[in-house]
Amino acid sequence: MSLRVLVLGADGFIGGQLVAALTAADWATPIAAGRRPRAASADDSIARLQFDATDQAALAHALQGADAVVNCISGSGATIESSARALLAAAARQPRAPRVVHMSSMAVYGAASGLVSESAPLRGADAYALAKIAAEAHCSRYPQAVVLRPGIVYGPRSRQWTERVGRWLLQRRVGDLGAAGDGCCNLVYVDDVVSAIAQCLRLAGVAGQAFNLAMAQPPSWNDYFVAFARQLGAVPVARIGRRRLKLETRLLAPPLKIAEILLGKARMHSIPLPEPIPPSLLRLWQQDMRLDVARAELLLQLRWTALADGLVQAARWFQAARAPAGPRAQ
Amino acid sequence: MILDTNNLPEGRALSADVCIVGAGAAGISMALQFIGSDIEVLLLESGAFEEEPDTQALYAGAVASELLHSPPDRYRQRRFGGTTTIWGGRCMPFDPIDFERRDYVAHSGWPFAREVLLPYYPAANRLCEAGDFSYTAAASFRDGGRPMIEGFESCCFSSDTLERFSCPTDFGARYGERLRAAPNITVLLHANVSAIRLRAAGDRVASLDVRTLGGKRVEARAGHYVLAAGGLEVARLLLASRDIQPDGIGNQHDLVGRYYMCHLAGTIGALRILKPASAVHHGYEISEEGVYCRRRLALRPETQRAQRLGNFVARLHHPRITDPAHRSSVLSLLYLAKPFIPYEYSKRLHGDEHATLAGWLRHLGNVVTGPFEALAFAWHLLRDRKLAERKFPSIIVTSRANLYSIDFHAEQQPEPSSRVLLDDARDALGMPRLRIDWRYTAGDVDTVQRAIALLAAEFARTGVGRLDYDTATVEAEMTRYGAYGGHHIGTARMGSDPRSSVVDSDCRVHGVDNLYIAGSATFPTSSQANPTLTVVALSLRLAAQLRWLVRADAAAAIIKPSAAPAAAGALAAGATP
Repeated sequence: MSLRVLVLGADGFIGGQLVAALTAADWATPIAAGRRPRAASADDSIARLQFDATDQAALAHALQGADAVVNCISGSGATIESSARALLAAAARQPRAPRVVHMSSMAVYGAASGLVSESAPLRGADAYALAKIAAEAHCSRYPQAVVLRPGIVYGPRSRQWTERVGRWLLQRRVGDLGAAGDGCCNLVYVDDVVSAIAQCLRLAGVAGQAFNLAMAQPPSWNDYFVAFARQLGAVPVARIGRRRLKLETRLLAPPLKIAEILLGKARMHSIPLPEPIPPSLLRLWQQDMRLDVARAELLLQLRWTALADGLVQAARWFQAARAPAGPRAQ
Repeated sequence: MILDTNNLPEGRALSADVCIVGAGAAGISMALQFIGSDIEVLLLESGAFEEEPDTQALYAGAVASELLHSPPDRYRQRRFGGTTTIWGGRCMPFDPIDFERRDYVAHSGWPFAREVLLPYYPAANRLCEAGDFSYTAAASFRDGGRPMIEGFESCCFSSDTLERFSCPTDFGARYGERLRAAPNITVLLHANVSAIRLRAAGDRVASLDVRTLGGKRVEARAGHYVLAAGGLEVARLLLASRDIQPDGIGNQHDLVGRYYMCHLAGTIGALRILKPASAVHHGYEISEEGVYCRRRLALRPETQRAQRLGNFVARLHHPRITDPAHRSSVLSLLYLAKPFIPYEYSKRLHGDEHATLAGWLRHLGNVVTGPFEALAFAWHLLRDRKLAERKFPSIIVTSRANLYSIDFHAEQQPEPSSRVLLDDARDALGMPRLRIDWRYTAGDVDTVQRAIALLAAEFARTGVGRLDYDTATVEAEMTRYGAYGGHHIGTARMGSDPRSSVVDSDCRVHGVDNLYIAGSATFPTSSQANPTLTVVALSLRLAAQLRWLVRADAAAAIIKPSAAPAAAGALAAGATP
């Protein structure tokens, strides 16, 4: 019998990829849930629900038709926390407790360094990390929840780590950053994240656990930038000096961010502005934290996509998205 | 962490599994390999983060001939990062032939082949920030890169090999934060090793005396000691530690400090290319990873064997700067800018010729008559060298007249009478200063003379150009600036026989179980290649061996507590990178 899987945040990056994968699978039937109405281009054969994922009553209603649920909700900290709280409360009231796969993030570990396993303290301190930690706390009170903590999810449709990085590489705003790019880039290919979710839905013995998701031998950020740039043909790769990075992140980023917000409010999206490189990224690119993925390899039986293969796919998608007649980047 | 010896209590004994003396290319590269392990490493550095005159003065010494060798406190830096704080960044691996025993090069042959070092070269290349470990144009560029001189196909010289350029990376600035953050690494600044103390049997190091210029004394104790203080200072440390081995450590056969090599380098001749100016590309190409690469004219190994010559490379160079007859506003600008160029570089730019007012005015005239060219060059220097983190490596001036000179860099052959030894004078810590007696041989002159003659013949044979030079001046030109600065090689040479070498193939001092030497002091021969990349590769190999040995020590201690040091005698044959 096909497993009915409610996917919250189905219009997002991972949610969208998951719905596509589940549609193609013979063991699952996805129910895509989102805040917005079905897009005109969407596949009509996929069941679609439209509701606010922070609405517990709506969630409870949606869960009645599902055997399992995957929470891919992103957005503001408040949305992340309140949707998780609503989902777990609604799930707990179901006559037959559904499996809940909750997408968290490596951000929960904060500024940790060295090899970090799932039992490491959750010391993330920024608003995003605090919301993810709070959401995980709700999961911990629900025995059928599985928490996934992916690192840097890249690949086709990754807005942050493929599209944005690709753009910056073409503009020579990132590249070989020297010591500023020595941090560990805990990359995980998007298909591997989808595979991990599928395993969490299907395997009995993983409830109540958390899993780090990242490739086993992650590159440094410099290596990622250089390898992706070469794949994109954005060569020669630029060496970005410390002075320039400071200028980007400290001097340029704040006014660019303010301008971006103001233009957004004024609905003047057509005015092109360079995307700011926030100081938080500079910290991330130097952070020497490597996710320990032994548990995911053992219990979820995951095999990671090789970086070279993942980059070929990422570059292919990126270039198609930028081509005039190609698919839209987002 | 990074500590200052001046802040430690007097007499403090520091202990570690591995103690490394010297935080330069070798020492820092090694220390980095222990990050993430449970092996405690103590990295002793004489200087601090900036050059300090009193500390730098500890390098001062005497030279037998100031014409043949620069003063010992030049071309090396006694500070965190070592001489990588001022190096030029030229990287290339040693060639396979460099490791061979060649019957026409006395005392040649390494105790292992290049393949042994090969697994460590890519990581060394990364540490030097020289991009891919790929040293041919064919392998480095999708289109094979532009030829150096169109139509130059020679059976004696290859122009397909490359040199790659580091940023140049200051290892202290680049990797210091990683060392500071590592809980098992302690970097100790202002830590001058004044003596290596052997235990009474003379077969193991018991401790190191560490002193500051302020008079503080501490002691360093470790399971394994590595001297990574550069080719000159390593010899001084070994020779000056004489309490148990009266001739100095490892010097029973009077080898420490001998076989001292640099490189033979110079600029010679007038090469007129008989092709359009566009047929010559003697400058840099940038690889995909963003690294400056340059072709050279490398004497092929089969030619070296057939002609019984040492290793040799040449590059196309601009005419001599000092002679205003070149009429190049750029070169004259460089001549006039001499006061702003560091000693280590200005010496080769300007040579030993005396400036005259007339000459100075002619140079000024060159600048005035070509102001736009000079301005464009000044802008290029500012943007691509002064302000860039990856710096344009050297001055490239394309000659509209198709006139060049030949810049050569040749192997110096090992010669026991070329040596460094202790002087009677002492430094501020009471250590004997060095006296440098660098010598070259008839074989060295022969290599350079015949290699240049071959090159001239090949230009003529292929019809691409004509190299005119005075054969009688070759020896004078190759010694015009003396020993090529900064490459201090061979003073504690590696070999399997203690009667002809100081360290074994694992870089361990013969007869002293736990004392190792990292760096070019151990190279038995000098190659045509600049030494830093191979220094780093060899250091990475030594670090891998030490990781293995420390674990073996720990295992031995568990099995049989009294036998802990025994593992040090076992070879790290199984050590892998």
